[in-house]
Amino acid sequence: MNPIPLSVIGGFLGAGKTTLVNHLLATARRRYGVLVNDFGAINIDAALITAQDGDTIALTNGCVCCSIGDDLGDALARLAARVPAPEHVIVEASGVSDPWRIAQLALIETGFTLEPLLVMVDATAFLTQLADRYIGDTVARQLGFAELVVINKADLAPDLEAVCAAVLRLRPEAQIVVCEHARLDAAVLHFTPPPRPPASRFSADVPDHAFPTSVWRPSGPLDRARLRTALEALPRSVLRVKGFCQLAPENRWHLLQYAAERWAFTPLDTTPEAGLVVIGTPGMPEAATLFAAVEA
Amino acid sequence: MPSTIRVFVARRILTMNASLPVATHVAVREGRILGFGGAEVLREFGTVEVDDRFAGRVLMPGFIEGHGHAVDGLMWRKPYVGFYPRRAPDGTHVAGLKSIAEVVARLQEVERLMTDPDAPVVAWGFDPIFFDGPRMTTADLDSISTHRMVMIGHVSGHIQNVNTRVLEAAGFSRDSNLDGLVRDANGALTGELQGPAVMGRASRAVGDPGILRAIDAPALWDYARIAQRVGVTTSTDLANALNAENVAALQEATTGAGFPLRLVPAMRAREYSLPEGLARIADLKRMSHDKLHFGIVKLVVDGSIQGFTARLRWPGYHNGAPNGLFYIAPSELGEIVAAYHAAGHQLHIHTNGDEASELATEMVGRAIAAHPRADHRHTLQHCQMADAAIFKRMAAFGMCVNLFANHIWYWGEQHRALTMGPSRANRLDACATALAAGVPLGIHSDVPVTPLDPLFTAWCAVNRITPAGRVLGAGERITVPQALYAITMGAATTLKMDHLIGSVDVGKYADFAVLEQDPNDVPASEIKDVGVCGTVLGGVPGVA
Ligand SMILES: [Zn+2]
Repeated sequence: MNPIPLSVIGGFLGAGKTTLVNHLLATARRRYGVLVNDFGAINIDAALITAQDGDTIALTNGCVCCSIGDDLGDALARLAARVPAPEHVIVEASGVSDPWRIAQLALIETGFTLEPLLVMVDATAFLTQLADRYIGDTVARQLGFAELVVINKADLAPDLEAVCAAVLRLRPEAQIVVCEHARLDAAVLHFTPPPRPPASRFSADVPDHAFPTSVWRPSGPLDRARLRTALEALPRSVLRVKGFCQLAPENRWHLLQYAAERWAFTPLDTTPEAGLVVIGTPGMPEAATLFAAVEA
Repeated sequence: MPSTIRVFVARRILTMNASLPVATHVAVREGRILGFGGAEVLREFGTVEVDDRFAGRVLMPGFIEGHGHAVDGLMWRKPYVGFYPRRAPDGTHVAGLKSIAEVVARLQEVERLMTDPDAPVVAWGFDPIFFDGPRMTTADLDSISTHRMVMIGHVSGHIQNVNTRVLEAAGFSRDSNLDGLVRDANGALTGELQGPAVMGRASRAVGDPGILRAIDAPALWDYARIAQRVGVTTSTDLANALNAENVAALQEATTGAGFPLRLVPAMRAREYSLPEGLARIADLKRMSHDKLHFGIVKLVVDGSIQGFTARLRWPGYHNGAPNGLFYIAPSELGEIVAAYHAAGHQLHIHTNGDEASELATEMVGRAIAAHPRADHRHTLQHCQMADAAIFKRMAAFGMCVNLFANHIWYWGEQHRALTMGPSRANRLDACATALAAGVPLGIHSDVPVTPLDPLFTAWCAVNRITPAGRVLGAGERITVPQALYAITMGAATTLKMDHLIGSVDVGKYADFAVLEQDPNDVPASEIKDVGVCGTVLGGVPGVA
């Protein structure tokens, strides 16, 4: 079974997360499973709803929307167990949480593969928020591991350039997408956007974001300790490593998922094709260079 | 037929009532206090039944736990492995376990007696703070069982220990480099899990919902029995989602014959959208009865100090740990406070760090400015790091406080060494400053985080001593009468129930704590050892 892509959307209260989620649901071309913190704020066109049962809303287009509840892992497991399973899961982080703490969880969920950590910023409020004594550090911390920063309400911002500069100062590795009314094409949910559908009145013209990728195919089983050392030494320009490898001495197949200095190897009972995909910023070295010492 | 009047005769009755602070007789009719005073009470009401079973005892107004969690009644379905002795709902004294070896031995015994070959061993209350030597590891827990899952919850609620079987089932290995997985010097996992993300995953692997399980009527009965034994006649349940299932359990228990406790559940505001929550609390208030009092609303602003999730002001944590994050955005907090305030409800706001307390106070101030309202009594719960300036503002705004006095004993040394440092640890749960500022004061246990026992809580506030023998902030000590007031009238005031409970007065519920001695007659360092014989609830005696 292919792992389900998982997107985490973070950002401070008012940045437009819920608007984006509503927009993605209304324009969905895939079966989304959405997990939200604030179930009451989800405002789906009643005509789209086929059933509502406690903390779950089912939509005519096959999407479902559920409340995260007390345990995100449990909510993910319940989503994955649905028939049919969602084709893509979106988690809307709470407006005061650190979205990276949530995204990390996906590294040990074999059923999911983590797409870019998307953090939304309210262009009209961001600079004030950063200076606020109560929330300044929260807003900055939310950007700490962001991979795609969506600067929303760009049309209303008095000084968009200053906002972009502040974002890049906090997180130079991130790619920036600018938008209005949280109207974004679903392509932003992917490291490698699928081919674009014809333009419609729902999809705004999103500037391209591109995360360079590079693949390394180990020639045989790898030594755990050496692989670990290589992972520890990865530069910040590496955002993700994911793929399959055999680990010596048992030569068992494992799924490796790495993001932002955290990683997990999960043993598998299948025999996949060996290969690690590395995703990063434009300055990232080639994957073969990054892992050269592992096979030496 | 007129109702019977019963007069209880006691060696002494501490009334917490300025009009007559000490009495010996109290007349009760229909569960309420009809009169109190000396022997003249016997002649005041015509024919009375005299009950002298307390002739050798001291009565006080029933103790009030202003911040407890009835989930304590549920915990006891699993073995307790804490450092301090504790009493189970059936009254059994459960010894404290003083080393990892003792914890392991106790659970090996539990495991031997289990009949289901696949059931997990799940225990609670582990408290290794006072253990010397290495921390608990998977090797310890694997010696309990290698085929069963073994999971031990720490008393703070923020940490778990698990055996190898659970690590495997949860998919955690040496190669899982995630926040919250504790490692030894060689990089191997020790089986200690910190934080909700990794703990939640392990709990799911074990298949035990832990404290997330919905509380049922039998658990509420167990909680009431625990309360009765320590003289508590009214306790909050702070907080409860108060959905239909929760309310049904509360109704079932509290309407049961002889249920020995009045419960005051707080509605968790964040379970509902604002309009839903406002409608829900209004509905709930109409379901209240003598033993079940709905009306208070709970909000949580930050986490815990010892879990490093509390929100501190400058200079932050003493050991340099990053500040906690607010659990709710300041603007959202302002909106929710304003809405419940304007609708006439009372908020109980959890704030641990001083920045959280300051923010909550600010938001209450704004709500008052927008919607002036006398006697709202919004209460900060825990409020452990507040200083004189915060207490002064709270007083000016008409707020109350319920301080977590038990922390001084349980975590005082840790706060001094790690979280706050020596200077700020001196103002941990600053009872004297709160009273000096004129803030109505309750003190609490946060059971099950620490055991329910108001006399122990009073002892903490009076002595401010840590297990190392150190007095934290001698100037913040309060007197024994002040502490006894805090666990009766003080708590009643924070719950807006001071017209019903908290003192001996005509018309109030006939609720008493039955004591072996007058706490004023023993040295202040010994008030925790004053024996509690049980309670009287609505005129009905119940034995501990
Ligand atoms: Zn609590």
